[in-house]
Amino acid sequence: MRIISTDHKVIGLQYLVTSLCFLLLGFCLIVLIRWQLAFPAQPVPLIGGLLGDANAPRGIMLPEFYTQLGAMHGTIMVFLAVVPFAVGAFGNYLVPLMIGAPDMAFPRLNALSYWLYLAGGIVMVTGFFLPGGAANSGWTSYPPLSIFASAGQTAWLLGMFVLILSSLVGSINMIATILQLRAPGLTMMRLPFFVWAQLVTAFLLLLAFPPLQAAAVLQLMDRLAGTSFFLPSGLVVSGLPLKVSGGGSPILWQHLFWFLAHPEVYVLILPGFGIVAEVIANATRKPLWGYRAMVGAALFMGFMSFLVWAHHMFLTGMGPTMSAFFQVTTMIISVPSVVILSSLLLSLWGGSIRFTVPALFALAFLPMFGIGGLTGLPLGLAASDIPLHDTYYVVAHFHYVVAPGTLFALFAGIYYWFPKVTGRMMNPLLGKLHFWGSFVGMNGIFLPMLIQGLAGVNRRLYDGGRTYTFAGPVVHLYSGQWWSTVLLGAVQLFFIVNLVWSLVRGRRTAENPWESTTLEWATTSPPPHENFPSPPRVHRGPYDYSPAGSTADFLPQHQP
Amino acid sequence: MIPYTIERRADTGVNNVTLGIWLFIASEVMLFGALFSSYALLRVSAPIWPHGFEVLAVWFGAANTVVLSIMTALILRARALDPRAARRLVVAGSALAIVFLLIKGLEWRGEIGNGLVPSVNTFFAMYFTLTGLHALHVIAGLVANAWALMGASRVGEAMTMGRIRSLALYWAFVDVVWLVIFLLFYLT
Repeated sequence: MRIISTDHKVIGLQYLVTSLCFLLLGFCLIVLIRWQLAFPAQPVPLIGGLLGDANAPRGIMLPEFYTQLGAMHGTIMVFLAVVPFAVGAFGNYLVPLMIGAPDMAFPRLNALSYWLYLAGGIVMVTGFFLPGGAANSGWTSYPPLSIFASAGQTAWLLGMFVLILSSLVGSINMIATILQLRAPGLTMMRLPFFVWAQLVTAFLLLLAFPPLQAAAVLQLMDRLAGTSFFLPSGLVVSGLPLKVSGGGSPILWQHLFWFLAHPEVYVLILPGFGIVAEVIANATRKPLWGYRAMVGAALFMGFMSFLVWAHHMFLTGMGPTMSAFFQVTTMIISVPSVVILSSLLLSLWGGSIRFTVPALFALAFLPMFGIGGLTGLPLGLAASDIPLHDTYYVVAHFHYVVAPGTLFALFAGIYYWFPKVTGRMMNPLLGKLHFWGSFVGMNGIFLPMLIQGLAGVNRRLYDGGRTYTFAGPVVHLYSGQWWSTVLLGAVQLFFIVNLVWSLVRGRRTAENPWESTTLEWATTSPPPHENFPSPPRVHRGPYDYSPAGSTADFLPQHQP
Repeated sequence: MIPYTIERRADTGVNNVTLGIWLFIASEVMLFGALFSSYALLRVSAPIWPHGFEVLAVWFGAANTVVLSIMTALILRARALDPRAARRLVVAGSALAIVFLLIKGLEWRGEIGNGLVPSVNTFFAMYFTLTGLHALHVIAGLVANAWALMGASRVGEAMTMGRIRSLALYWAFVDVVWLVIFLLFYLT
């Protein structure tokens, strides 16, 4: 296998391995944070001495290091781990196979997209080795703080710029591939829901990321060329009036950032919906309930996601008219999520469910995303958002969406498509240990966060809020969260061992071990270069399970 | 072999390259849209905003408007010609794009020499950011032109004409962005 390949399967696997490494790195950062919150001012065990005197003298981490960990955990998880995992790895590997195409529409741009992603990620992470450490102004990089932050912030901005180029190239490729390279007979309404989810996701990446790129350029100018795009007049830093021209607006950054970052939420969740839909249809042996409604909901969700960004900014003093508009759009956008989640739930009705490992992850996704979504409603209304803003409640809300939500969907996808990629099965026992440990661990971390947030604990406190009386009743929860983190980390070892062991020793499997209908199973496992021995022709919709008037359990899409 | 790189797909009515370049332009509209929105927000909230025609060299800007528009017209015209003539027009257009960059460089040198740098005020901060980003687009376009011309013998005429057609759309977009910059910074 060549290092620089234009085969979408190789690139998909490169994305997979790289994003899993970043996922692990992001997790390691949060392990340090959880230690600090549970046992403040105690030396980090085992590795405390390796963190460096500038970060953690005698193993006790400094507040400056803590803020780097928080900022980089968020950035790495969102931009370097989950999105490349969901879109780069799953999208790249599976979309051409699912639509019966020999490769992506622009194979060389596809390779470029991966290498830009890797370069951007490396640039961002090198911040840890710069004087003053990595970016430390939160994953949102709000000015004016970020303008005066150490050099790591410049690395963050440059890395982000390169990452956005990568996602631009990747999303153009994805849209062109889905629209142009569908096999004969594969009309849009015969596409698997996974492909629809990737299509809408690609449009969000294409159109929402450039404003953050613009914002990154402006912030770079503020940091390097002494401009004042985000610096207001009359700013005083460390007791001295700042010598800049002024006249800028910190709120402008927030608008540009959230104009990206809200669609980004749907970039994080839509591929998850897509994977869960495939796994559930397969595990229940039934067609998806409400496929057309789900497609419509995904499209509507994509469109609406551009109109809700300022619900992250209710505290900026935007005034009741603006705030009313964004509250209304926010309530509206919850509807398509409910449509998709309800359709998936109703798909289970009357099915004879095969409780395989991918099915377990996909089934757990439903209530976990449900909690994530429903806890978001009070945040979408200004009256309840104002007290909850910037508390652990918010952190719990979006982690329920992304961690036991999207990540569970991605794990379901790994277990489900592993036989496609390797021709071998993953070990179900290790898989079940991985699932139950992750399920308990994640809830053990995030459920107490909801309580801490409702008590009013701010999300970025170095000591976890111990200096505040109101946090008194909830600080003891931190130690339970620490032990849940240990559990969560430990069971990931089962996953890593399973992945490596099954690659070499896993049980060899039939061409279509899950008895699935979609096109990726119409070729060998692993598929050859250019995917299909002869171009497939599609004769039916994607979920012909237990077809009426037939004795077969399922009819593949390519079967006449 | 990837289908529809040259021929059109019947149900979408385009080939991959045309679709790709339109998607790229859509993304670029969002990029510059965000910057022009930032310009609008900062300008309306500024207590004083200089008139561009008083602080910038309008003649340089006007000359560049003419140069870039002719360049764009040439490459748009190239789409309808036979491959040899089309390639000649792309070469001529590229020369004009280089002239544009030279004029822009002279203009920047004059401004910086007079102490008019990005940190002076938000007007110049925006001016340098937008004209700089636009110049990067011109440079990228030149690289793409060279790539299309040099690859011509390797990929054949049909593919090269497809690339020139896509480049023409790109250059038209770059020209439109320049016209907006000229209007917002030099004329108001």
